[in-house]
Amino acid sequence: MTDHTVGPGVSGGLPSYPSTRASDPRTAEAALAIRGLVKQFGEKTAVDHIDLDVPVGSFFGLVGPNGAGKTTTLSMVTGLLRPDEGRIFVAGGDVWADPVAAKANMGVLPDGLRLFERLSGPELLSYLGRLRGIPADEVQRRIEGLLDVLDLTSAGSKLVADYSTGMRKKITLAAALLHSPSLLLLDEPLEAVDPVSARAIRGVLSDYCAGGGTVVFSSHVMALVEELCSHVAVMADGRIVASGELSAVRGDAASLDDAFFHIIGGQDRGTEGLSWLRSSRA
Amino acid sequence: MVAIFASLKWRLVTSRVRALSPGKRIQTIIGLCLALLAVGAVAYALSTLRSVPEAGYLAVTGLFALQFVAWTLTPMVAFGVDETVDPSKFALLPIRPATLQRGLLVSSVVGYLPTFNAVILIGCAIGLSFLGWMLPIALLCVVLQLVTCVVFSRAAATSMATLMSSRRGRDLGMAVGFGVLVVYMLATLGLNSGSSAGLGAAAHRTAEILSWTPPGALASLPFQIATEQWGRAAASAVIALVFLGLGWFWWARALRKSLVTVDSDTASSAPSHGIGGASAIGGTLLGTAQVVAGRDRTLMWRDPMRRMPWLISIFMGVAWPLIVIPGEGAIFASAFGALLMGSQAANQFGLDGSGLWLHLVAFGDRVRARGELLGHNLAVLVPAVPLVVVVTAAVAAIRGSWDWFLPAVAMNLAIIVCTAAIATWLSVVVPYAVPQSRKSMFASSIAGQRSASFRSAFGSMLLGLAAALPVIGLGVLGIVIAPVWSWAALVVALVYPPVLLMVLLRRAADQYLSRGSEILAVVTAGDRA
Repeated sequence: MTDHTVGPGVSGGLPSYPSTRASDPRTAEAALAIRGLVKQFGEKTAVDHIDLDVPVGSFFGLVGPNGAGKTTTLSMVTGLLRPDEGRIFVAGGDVWADPVAAKANMGVLPDGLRLFERLSGPELLSYLGRLRGIPADEVQRRIEGLLDVLDLTSAGSKLVADYSTGMRKKITLAAALLHSPSLLLLDEPLEAVDPVSARAIRGVLSDYCAGGGTVVFSSHVMALVEELCSHVAVMADGRIVASGELSAVRGDAASLDDAFFHIIGGQDRGTEGLSWLRSSRA
Repeated sequence: MVAIFASLKWRLVTSRVRALSPGKRIQTIIGLCLALLAVGAVAYALSTLRSVPEAGYLAVTGLFALQFVAWTLTPMVAFGVDETVDPSKFALLPIRPATLQRGLLVSSVVGYLPTFNAVILIGCAIGLSFLGWMLPIALLCVVLQLVTCVVFSRAAATSMATLMSSRRGRDLGMAVGFGVLVVYMLATLGLNSGSSAGLGAAAHRTAEILSWTPPGALASLPFQIATEQWGRAAASAVIALVFLGLGWFWWARALRKSLVTVDSDTASSAPSHGIGGASAIGGTLLGTAQVVAGRDRTLMWRDPMRRMPWLISIFMGVAWPLIVIPGEGAIFASAFGALLMGSQAANQFGLDGSGLWLHLVAFGDRVRARGELLGHNLAVLVPAVPLVVVVTAAVAAIRGSWDWFLPAVAMNLAIIVCTAAIATWLSVVVPYAVPQSRKSMFASSIAGQRSASFRSAFGSMLLGLAAALPVIGLGVLGIVIAPVWSWAALVVALVYPPVLLMVLLRRAADQYLSRGSEILAVVTAGDRA
């Protein structure tokens, strides 16, 4: 056990582990492996005993309706929310028992969290790169490359507080890529992003995946998942209801959208109750 | 329509109380009743002034002017207190501006603060009426005073609504708020420093000038009628009514403009000029500390939310010993500045808000966790320690108290470092959220976490003082018994507080590593405030 193990004596800590490595050999082969993960908020079980294996080099989409538990799952995987039960392995190392190795391997883009708003984009990246121990000139070289590819060079010394939504997603993605991690965890990376920024982000992610990196991202947009992903997992009510290669999950359905609707047991609702909406101005 | 506005405001006021748990509801109601009693006592005191006609007139003239300034400046200092202040909330409703304006006027007088103001104004009306028949005139004047306050407050709020909805506007509001605080403190100190005889003459002169201003005109109108100064009375009435009319017109114009223009100001901040400590590299304890301290230093200068407490601390640290406390003993009053500056190390994670995730995903090792906390402390202590020493020396030089310089500087060094040490530890033990887009310089905590913010802020200061007691004790011995104890105090002040800081910092860093996700959950609440 390392120095950083969260032991039972620590307030809110997990039970002590027999080892920071998993006994199941499959977890060492996967880029990300989740076993029996549970999170409860009061009476509500947000994540209910989920297991998931994300193969190395895959582009993995996590889809599900609002409130399905996608963000909660990703928050626990990234070390930002403590699980009630279960274990998470990144490249075979336990995220919560051995966070040092896991965090060096992960790049994270959460949804709805702020950045250091009063720094400019290049300042933010320089700060985070140097905090991770990358030499200043190397950080500078990487920043120039990332800003150029993500079309943020023109933002110059503008503060992050003045960035648009698309620019914020792009600078957060740049921060996630800066230390060249082997796994990217992205929560709604293309939500509320303009088409030009979305194209830049998609291009970077596809290249990253082609280079051997693994991407896990959550999204509501089925067309996007269908276009980008090699694998997909569908979440509903805190559980994984389907998981595997995209073609297997889609099955015979015309589109992933239809398959998703069928898997989560959705029902088309009639609009008869709204007849007044088109027939009257009163 | 006007009645709908009044009932809407009433619902807003009462729903806040209804939303509380039964225990807190009773506490709130008792608190409000006590506040009303206190206000009633003030009103009673004002009403007794009717037996001293001149004093009543002087006091009420000053009070009316102060009340008017407070109402008008409130939107700048604390915009967002009242949900109905922002006119853009009504922009999509099919209401004519004139109706909206009348509705807003009525809704503005429903609430705790207008009620308290009304009670005090009734006290003023009685205080002004040293003859019985003056009371109706005085009551009319206080009604006009309340309406004038509300109209100008609303006109200012509406004019600034666009400005205050932007980040730059709020930054400006905080700067103006600080300016108001400094002017208020200097004015109070100026008044307190005068002799009582001089004060009476000054009050007469001030009241005479103020009686030509609209609030002063309303306050002096009953007195002028009673003393048959018909010309002055007519002038006062015209001044007050024309002013109110102008305020109404200003508000109407601002309202029309805000209803048809875009509700935002897209002006961005001045471009950045580089981050502090740009050559430092993290990984080691000192390297990480330099990286973090460099960022903190940059943000301290750039972010009004961080800059404002520093400005207040420095102002109080200098003003307190040099302006407020007379004589040679003032050198020990410089400890107040040391205490305030040491407490700047409080709530280190709350300041970053949910941005803390950037640190949590970047590292998970002890060395960097300690480095981060050390960096936050360096950002506070590197400017604060020399500043406190310089202020202490300046007070010693100005007041000729060099004999006490040694014990004073030893005490101040111990207080500043011990307070920072305790504040660092409490940052982890009692973290609390800070509103991240704050609209007031005084809003430093959010609902539901006030107790934590109180424990953290006052705990840092009280425990910091307690931790510095060994050095304070040696300093006192140096003053009372023999100067050699002062040297002992200085030696201990240079060794003990830094050791305490490092011990508490190590404990805090370990807890930060194990509780990082819980701290993030607490401080993220500041985003939604």
